[in-house]
Amino acid sequence: MADIKAKAKDGASAGREAALLRATLENMAQGVAMYDADHKLVTWNTLFRQYLEMPDEFLGTDRTFSDYIRYIGARGEFGEGADIEQELRKRLAMLDRSHSFERVRPDGTVLEVRRDPVPGGGFIAIYTDITERKEAEKQLREDEERFRAIDAAAPVGLIIVGEKNQNILHLNPSFCEIAGKDAKALLGRPLSSIFTEAEKSKELAGIINGTSSERKEFHFKRPDGAEAYVMVSRVALDYRGEKAVIASFVDIHDRVQAEIELRQAKEAAESASRVKSSFLANMSHELRTPLNAIIGYSEILLEDATDRGDKASMGDLEKIQAAGKHLLGLINDILDLSKIEAGRMDVYLEHVFLTRLVDEVKTIVEPMMKKNGNKLVVDCPRDIGSVQTDLTKLKQSIINLLSNAAKFTKDGIVTLRLAREMRDGAPWIRFEVADSGIGMTDEQMGRLFQAFTQADSSTTRNFGGTGLGLTITRHFCAMLGGSIEVKSEPGQGSTFTILLPDRATKAAEDEPDSDRPAIVHEPASGDIHVLVVDDDPAVHDVLATTLGKEGYQIAHAKDGVEALHMMRAHPPDIVTLDVMMPKMDGWSVLGIMKSEPQLAHIPVIMLTIVDHRNLGFSLGASEYMTKPIDRNRLIALIEKFAASRRDGTVLVIDDDPDVRAMVKATIDDVGMKATTVANGQAALDWLASQPQPALVLLDLMMPNMDGFEFLERVRQNPHYVDLPIVVLTAKELTDHERGYLAERTLLVLSKSAQPISKLGFALAAIAGRTRDMQSAALTDEKVQ
Amino acid sequence: MTKILLVEDNEMNRDMLSRRLMRNGFEIVMAVNGQEGLDLASSENPDLILLDMSLPIIDGWEAARRLKADAATAKIPVIALTAHAMVQDKEKALAAGCDDFDTKPVELPRLLEKINSLLQNGG
Repeated sequence: MADIKAKAKDGASAGREAALLRATLENMAQGVAMYDADHKLVTWNTLFRQYLEMPDEFLGTDRTFSDYIRYIGARGEFGEGADIEQELRKRLAMLDRSHSFERVRPDGTVLEVRRDPVPGGGFIAIYTDITERKEAEKQLREDEERFRAIDAAAPVGLIIVGEKNQNILHLNPSFCEIAGKDAKALLGRPLSSIFTEAEKSKELAGIINGTSSERKEFHFKRPDGAEAYVMVSRVALDYRGEKAVIASFVDIHDRVQAEIELRQAKEAAESASRVKSSFLANMSHELRTPLNAIIGYSEILLEDATDRGDKASMGDLEKIQAAGKHLLGLINDILDLSKIEAGRMDVYLEHVFLTRLVDEVKTIVEPMMKKNGNKLVVDCPRDIGSVQTDLTKLKQSIINLLSNAAKFTKDGIVTLRLAREMRDGAPWIRFEVADSGIGMTDEQMGRLFQAFTQADSSTTRNFGGTGLGLTITRHFCAMLGGSIEVKSEPGQGSTFTILLPDRATKAAEDEPDSDRPAIVHEPASGDIHVLVVDDDPAVHDVLATTLGKEGYQIAHAKDGVEALHMMRAHPPDIVTLDVMMPKMDGWSVLGIMKSEPQLAHIPVIMLTIVDHRNLGFSLGASEYMTKPIDRNRLIALIEKFAASRRDGTVLVIDDDPDVRAMVKATIDDVGMKATTVANGQAALDWLASQPQPALVLLDLMMPNMDGFEFLERVRQNPHYVDLPIVVLTAKELTDHERGYLAERTLLVLSKSAQPISKLGFALAAIAGRTRDMQSAALTDEKVQ
Repeated sequence: MTKILLVEDNEMNRDMLSRRLMRNGFEIVMAVNGQEGLDLASSENPDLILLDMSLPIIDGWEAARRLKADAATAKIPVIALTAHAMVQDKEKALAAGCDDFDTKPVELPRLLEKINSLLQNGG
């Protein structure tokens, strides 16, 4: 009984233990199967069933381990055609000891199988799914292989340096190559073992330990003495649990070497170019001397032959002379170009009166035009005024373009067009030479401005010339602060456009003492009153801001009637006048102003969208600006007038007391002050002690100091560069004198040609007007 | 006959210019340097002087200054001749007191015009 009870008790206890065991087994993350000493299956869990896909009908305590192996073997678990009995024998032989292996199942999952003998016989089989772990391991292995391959194959040197002790933890073959050392000599060693020069390891440590990710150039000497140039960059990383930096080294030796060679080549070329230019400059001079003799003596012989009527010799001598002159032209071009290239071409700035320039150019190119049956058309406004630039270079440039046009056009039309235009708020002059000639292709145009090339190499044969003209012209334009452009189509003619600033300024490297000051905005004193007459409130706003900032006192009138009323009450120093206004338009205001002595002298700047310059000038406007308003130009104009209004004196320089008296009376009549002196020296003394006069009237023939010397002296003084000077002379002027005066004065009036009293209007206008516009407006009154 | 003093150091230029001027009816006196030019200007009292600028001993600019500073020669018109067609040279010559200016190689018609113009004004 007791035995039975004990057994029953045992049975109950065994039932609890079995339940506990089952719960434990089911909660395990592995598949488990237990076998007894007879290899009979005792128990198993769900994961075992799932991992091995065992059907329920198979599982049972009557099954043995051998049944199980044969079953899964038959299912193909050991691969197609495997010897199942041999697989079984192998397994049975191992059951007396713990063992484990990995099995790749047909579906690719990997199971780790572990079998352990159990005390008292039997064994337990534990299955763990290690598919993911295996995958991760494989990934890691591949990554490492990839890194090793990159590391070994990369043309970039790589080192990993420990942060703490600065030892080289890793390096690749390329690094060894760059450093010129064996891996053995470097691995595990400090950075300094790379270099023979101690300071280099410090420099590299600085780059590697820096925080910048920027690439840095680094240069050192290899143990074999060769120079190494590398580009170093760095990235921080954890290397085997240690903070470290991986640094890459790109060999830039070839690039640096190429740069050095390029620099040397460039210097050599520049030096050669300088030597060439200097040689050419000297050579050209040496060539010109004998050439002068050839031209000169052939001319003498030609004169002799002409006297004798020796026609045969005349023809030959003319050919010699023409060839000589042609050669001289080529040499002059080469000389110019070599001077430009040697940086020895000086720029000489002066006031160039454009209508006069055009007339001169016309005379020079007229014979060239006739030669090919071309007609020259000049389109130049008579009031185009003057430009501050280098006369010789500008003239040469225009003649060059015109002679090209004449050369490449037959029985056609060549047009020279001049116009002013505003660019970026600054005044420019445009010179356009258009022809109806053979034109050019894009490719020909591309070569156009290069030295020693013409549009086509056959051009030289057919049309002559050096091919240097346009190169020189382009250099000249650049030296004058401008540019040259070309537009052309084959058969459609060509148009060359030179664009020059109204006022060229010398480049900074030129000697400063001969430098003329550019436009300087003198701060206006607050006692200059400007009356703004306009019906548009926006214009008042703009001008109040612009001019107010410059310190001018501004008064506002919104129509002509109000303006006249205000002017009569308080005459302003300057008036800006709109044209289209209600009640009374600007023209009427201007007309009335000029008819009232009290208002006639006030400079008026027409400010309008209507462009009727000539009407404005003929009515007596000093300046004419179209809207939209160019603020800088307006300020410059007002400053100019403000300066002239500060002292409205006219300085009369003449040795003849009768002339002095007559001129003074004339000036008094137009409501201005006149001071008279008898010669140039007295005038200089007066100028030195007095404020700048509004105008100077200058006689030429005087004792003590004549008009020419006075001009020479006064124009040397930068203060008087823009002093308006009108020459009043009885002297018959030579061409040269006329040219000389034209460059330095506003206007030359002949005493004999017209009575002085008639000059009153001109003088009044001059006093308030800019030099440029003035001279242009009065160009037609030049001495005959 | 109108007398012109030609001051020029280059023999060929002197020869050419003197011959061509003589053909045109001028009497020519020649000097080969600035000093000789000054001496002849005083002793020969020419009607006009053609003065090369790059001369030995005394250069043309200095010679022009001295000619114009001396009351005896100040009234004689001087035309500067230079090989350099630079504006600066022209300015320099005029500043030195020359009455006119021409560039070499000489273009005879142009030079004759300048000579005649100065002679008419002076006379």
